[in-house]
Amino acid sequence: MIQFEKVNFTYTANPEEMSLRNISLAIKDGECVLLTGPSGCGKSTLLRLLNGLIPEFYDGDMTGKIFIDGTDISEKGIYDFVGKIGTVFQNPRSQFFNVDTTSELAFGCENMAIPEAEILSRMEGTVSAFRIEKLMDRNIFELSGGEKQKIACASIHVLGPDIILLDEPSANLDYEAAENLRQIIQCWKEEGKTILIAEHRINYVWDLADRVVIFEAGRVVHDFEKKEISSFTDEQCRGYKLRSLKRISPQEIAFEKRNRAENRKKNINAEGREGNDFRKEDIRLEGFTYAYKSGENVLNIRKMQIKRAKATAIVGANGAGKTTFLECLCGIRKNKGKMWLDGKEYDSKARLKVIFMVMQDPNHQLFTESVLDEVLISMPEENEERAKQILSQVDLSDFADRHPMSLSGGQKQRVALACAIASECPILLLDEPTSGLDLTHMLEVAEILNQLKKQGRTIITVTHDSEFIEKCCDEVIVYGK
Amino acid sequence: MSGNASKKSFLDPRTKLLLVLVEAVLVLATAGGERLFWFRILFTVLPFLLLFTAGRYKSCITGGIVLGITLFLQYAVFPKAQGGLAMILLIVTSVITRFLPAYLIGAYVIQTTKVSEFKAAMEKMHMPDELTIPMCVMFRFFPTVREESTSIQAAMKMRGIGMGGRKASEMPEYRLVPMISCSAKIGEELSAAALTRGLGKSRKRTNICRIGFGIFDYLIFALVLATCVYWITGVIG
Repeated sequence: MIQFEKVNFTYTANPEEMSLRNISLAIKDGECVLLTGPSGCGKSTLLRLLNGLIPEFYDGDMTGKIFIDGTDISEKGIYDFVGKIGTVFQNPRSQFFNVDTTSELAFGCENMAIPEAEILSRMEGTVSAFRIEKLMDRNIFELSGGEKQKIACASIHVLGPDIILLDEPSANLDYEAAENLRQIIQCWKEEGKTILIAEHRINYVWDLADRVVIFEAGRVVHDFEKKEISSFTDEQCRGYKLRSLKRISPQEIAFEKRNRAENRKKNINAEGREGNDFRKEDIRLEGFTYAYKSGENVLNIRKMQIKRAKATAIVGANGAGKTTFLECLCGIRKNKGKMWLDGKEYDSKARLKVIFMVMQDPNHQLFTESVLDEVLISMPEENEERAKQILSQVDLSDFADRHPMSLSGGQKQRVALACAIASECPILLLDEPTSGLDLTHMLEVAEILNQLKKQGRTIITVTHDSEFIEKCCDEVIVYGK
Repeated sequence: MSGNASKKSFLDPRTKLLLVLVEAVLVLATAGGERLFWFRILFTVLPFLLLFTAGRYKSCITGGIVLGITLFLQYAVFPKAQGGLAMILLIVTSVITRFLPAYLIGAYVIQTTKVSEFKAAMEKMHMPDELTIPMCVMFRFFPTVREESTSIQAAMKMRGIGMGGRKASEMPEYRLVPMISCSAKIGEELSAAALTRGLGKSRKRTNICRIGFGIFDYLIFALVLATCVYWITGVIG
């Protein structure tokens, strides 16, 4: 039993804004609760109060009381919760202390000084429950995002906690990996664990939840029981500013699109048939293959056509090399693929000049000290007037002088988009542009892309987000191994 | 870069640390002078053998080529060179022949040692946690920095910032700013995750890693001992 009694919380780092206001909430043992709401609504803060990262790691002022099984947690420290509460975090890249998977699984238990023999037998149980035999004794840096998140869940499971907290665990995962995560959560549910999930992307866990709590500006604004949420519709979700509930696979997305445009010829397959519907103004791609050093071909696209001034979504299974494809297309990964645009042939080096790519983690592509500078250096000719105009287009006018690194995830994404606009490149690539965005931010990105299409830019995006595809993509290409 | 973790090394982490020390003293700092010449040759070859047995053929071959070229310059070109060229050759060749073996043994240790093996070894040597934990984090941090750095480099290439490109003078700054902020962010998230799993909870930790000395460890000890004895007898005699 977890009880919050009139809890208020303000971070020391952000004293003007109260992160939690007057929260009173009781969570029963074995309940699976989905916490949702717009970015910055306080749902992650709630989890940090439970796992002890507040006050151990993040400072702030708290009033009110929190009880776990009747004990006031303010009398306890972060270490008292190890083995009792497990936390899965958002970023799969930064949850590992070890370099190899096996040691990572043992790590928590070793810290608890559990005898070696018992650790090994616990690990055996977890490995078979999660079916991760193939991931054992591997280098974590060589795993995909979905595999890393599986290992993160497994390393929590080995500790056998009663309470499991997940803080936006699917933010960096594609469709298939999110489905795998769902199975793990289901497994925990069956074991009777108390589960709290903070998420924007609610579709993959919606029907697992016994209860949905919606936050807004630090307050609980709605608290729905199982019977209320099971009949929820997408319209209702939109009313509460939530993302779509639809759980549809990339193949289904493409299928729906195709059905809707019956009479239009389209290229569903990455192997695509060239020919009948080839139009002169289309962008033509040929011979994109890429193999890692290990020799396995991760990319094999013989022919593909992309419509000019439209948005094309590339969807596909996990680990199918979608990001690699974007990198090859953009030219940052050298390869032999050729592109034709307006009858001119572009090799990988020439493509760098006409293609701009917004990466999945915008932190990697923001270099300067202010948002305005960031836009200026992207322009072929620096022009402050135009730069300011672009910033207002992406709704960042008020942030022109801020340091890019001080912005939120959604804002950084928009800075990267502003740079793309400023670059005047006719083709724009986006890698999972909506990962970790709430409804409002996702709609903003979609709106910007729709404007860009009108201005004649061609957009190619890798995505798993069916709602986003619906809002701004004209074509869907399913990309398989 | 395939399966760092699965490639097992037959040396104990403690032996590896000893080797790093010996390479540094004997080859890098050339302690013992002329008298230890043949031992120095032996310890120059040793890293290659170790890398080979660990399946790191690429490092082995690249290292071999670099060493080969250096030796060629040292013995075939240097005697004929004069003036400034001779000076440059002397500096370059002596730096490479000294540093390369130490670098290779370092690469071998990093690539073949698991973090938990290293931790177990440090605990067996009764090293304090204050020293062990930061060193463990280093193991974890190198690949992270490399990963981040690769992504940032790709982004710079795409935006046309780079050597010879636009804004060449600001390049180091553009490179460092995201590098530092990404690494700091990852470091912060990493410590938060490690704390919730009890890192630093108890004085006594357990470790599922079995480490211990085998025949090869004793062979290395014998070799190091022989080197020391020969050196000391030289100094005394």
